[in-house]
Amino acid sequence: MVSVRLGAGVLAAIVALSAGCGGRSKSSAAPASGALQVVAAENFWGSIASQLGGSRVQVTSVIASPATDPHDYEPTAADARTIAGARMVIENGIGYDPWVQKLISANPVSGRIVLTAGDLVGIKPGGNPHRWYSPTDVQLMIDAIVQDYDKLDPKDADYYAQQKTRFETKGLARYKQLIARIKREYHGVQVGASESIFAPLAQALELKLLTPPTFLKAISEGTDPTAADKTTIDHQIADKQIKVWVFNSQNSTPDVKRITDAARKHGIPVTSITETLVPASASFQAWQSHQLQALAAALAQGTGR
Amino acid sequence: MPEAAVFQGLSWNPLTDMHQLFAYPFMVNALEAGTIVAVMAGVTGWFMVLRRQTFAGHTLSVIAFPGAAAASLAGLPLAVGYFGFCGFGALALAGIAGSRRSLSAESAAIGSLQALALALGFLFVSLYHGILNGLDSLLFGTFLGITTEQVVVLLAVAGAAVVLVAIAARPLFFASVHPDVARAGGVPVAAMGFGFLLVLGLAVAETSQITGALLVFALLVTPAATAHQLTARPVLGIVLSVALALAVTWLGLALAYFSIYPVGFYVTSLSFGSYVVVRVGRALGRRRQLTARLALEAA
Repeated sequence: MVSVRLGAGVLAAIVALSAGCGGRSKSSAAPASGALQVVAAENFWGSIASQLGGSRVQVTSVIASPATDPHDYEPTAADARTIAGARMVIENGIGYDPWVQKLISANPVSGRIVLTAGDLVGIKPGGNPHRWYSPTDVQLMIDAIVQDYDKLDPKDADYYAQQKTRFETKGLARYKQLIARIKREYHGVQVGASESIFAPLAQALELKLLTPPTFLKAISEGTDPTAADKTTIDHQIADKQIKVWVFNSQNSTPDVKRITDAARKHGIPVTSITETLVPASASFQAWQSHQLQALAAALAQGTGR
Repeated sequence: MPEAAVFQGLSWNPLTDMHQLFAYPFMVNALEAGTIVAVMAGVTGWFMVLRRQTFAGHTLSVIAFPGAAAASLAGLPLAVGYFGFCGFGALALAGIAGSRRSLSAESAAIGSLQALALALGFLFVSLYHGILNGLDSLLFGTFLGITTEQVVVLLAVAGAAVVLVAIAARPLFFASVHPDVARAGGVPVAAMGFGFLLVLGLAVAETSQITGALLVFALLVTPAATAHQLTARPVLGIVLSVALALAVTWLGLALAYFSIYPVGFYVTSLSFGSYVVVRVGRALGRRRQLTARLALEAA
C-alpha cells in the first residue's frame, strides 16, 4: 500500500520533472506565523538569538543535543528544510559547521541574511572556531544579530533595542560579574586545558594557559597529539605548574581521560566545560555561569586564595 | 510560494506529497541530479556487467573516495576530486587490462590498486587538519547540498558519456561478447576497452556524488544485473537497466526526504530488493517449467 502510493507520487514526479517543473524559482521564505524565522546552526548562538528576538522571532537550533558532536554533524533532510525556510541563518564558520554553507548554496533564497561568527570577528579558517567562549566575540555577535533583526523587521527596531539592553544588563549580568571576578582575583594564574575550546575564555579571564597550543588543537580536531606535547603536559602536572585542569567532557579522548586522572592524583583541582549547552534546555548565560562558577571554585582551591 | 515552503510530513496524498517534494530548490536539485546519475549509471552499468568488469567498477568507486578526500584537503570542489581520481584510476585499470596477463593476475593487480586507493583516502582524511566534515556522506552518500552548478556539471559529463556510448554501442557490444570475431571484423577491441573504462570512470565519479563511494554499486551494478536477469536483448536490457536505476533513485530520494534515514540506505535496499525479487521470480518460473515438462513426459 505504502509503495503503491509512493509509486504513484514518484510517477507524478517523473511527469513534473519532464515537464520542466517550475520549482526552481527562488522561494521567498515568508514566515507562517508572522514571527521572524531564524535558524542557528548550534544552540549556543541560538539561545542568544532567541533571547534577543523575544516574541517577534522564532529561533530553531539545529545542533541542540549534548549528545551530538558538532564537529562531525551530518545534516538531515529536516535541517535542509528548516534552513530553506529561514529568513536568517546564524552559523559559527571557521570550519566548524561547513554543512550549513552547503545547505545554503543548495537552496538559494532571496533576501536571506547569513550571519557567520568567524567572518564577523575576523578569524580565518584554521583559527580557533570556539568564538562563543570569547566574551568579546559574544558581544560582537549580539550587536550583529540585533542589526540583522532591524534589517529584516525594521518596524520592530525599538522592541529589539529594548530586548538587547535587557539581555546585556540583566540576562548576562551574572556571566559578566563572574568573568570580572575571576579576572580580578586570579589573573596570571597558570592553568591547563584539554582543548582549544578553553583558549578564548582563558585569554578573557587573563589566566595563563600552559598547555601547548598544538595539543589543544589536536584534541579539538580529533587528530593524534604528539608524544612531545604529552610529555610536556605530564611534567606540568607532576611539577604542579598548573593550578587547575579544565577538560571538555563532551570530547574526552583516552589521552584526555588519562591526563585528567593524573591531575586528580596530584591533587590538582579538575573542572569541566562542554561544547554545547548542558542541559540542552539551559540558556547560554546559565550554562556559562555554571561553568564559570565551577572554575572559580577550582581556582580558589588550587591557589588557596 | 510561501504556502509550499511549509513541510507537513508525509500526508499519504500523492498530490500533496508531490507538491511537498518539489517545494524546495535543494530537493529539485537532488531529483535532477539523481535522474542524470541514474540514466548514466543504468547505461554504463549494463555494459559493465556484460563485459564482466564489475570488479574494475568497484575499484573505481573505491578510488573515488581518496579523490573526494584529496579535493577537501586542497579546498577544491568535490567534483574535481571525483572526476580527476576516477579518470586516473580508469587509465591505471586500462594499463592493467592492456598488459594482457591472465585473468587472475589482472584481478590481483586491480585488488592491489584498490587497497592503495583506500589507504590514500585514509591518509588524506588524516592530513586534513580541521575536521573533515561529512566523511560519512563521502562514503555513504547524501542528497543534501547539491547546487544548481553541480547539476549542470553532472548533466554535461553524463550527456557526453551517454552520447559516446550510444555512438559506439554496436561495436562495443560486439567487442564485449565476441572479442576475437570483432577483432577479425576490424573492430578496435583494445581501444574500445580503454574508452569504455574511461566512460566507466566518469560514471563512477558521477554516481559517487549521490550514493557515496561505497554504495556506487546500488546504481551501477544492481539495476544492470537485474536487467541482465530479465532479458538478453541489448536494447531492452539497457532500457530496463535505466528504468530500474531511475525508479530506485526517485523512490530512495522521496523516502529519504520524508524520513530521517540516509538516502544511500534506501537506494541500495530498493535496488537489492528488486534484484532478489527477479532472481526468486526466475527460479520459481524455471521450476514451474520443469514440473510442467515432467508432467508432460509422465503423460
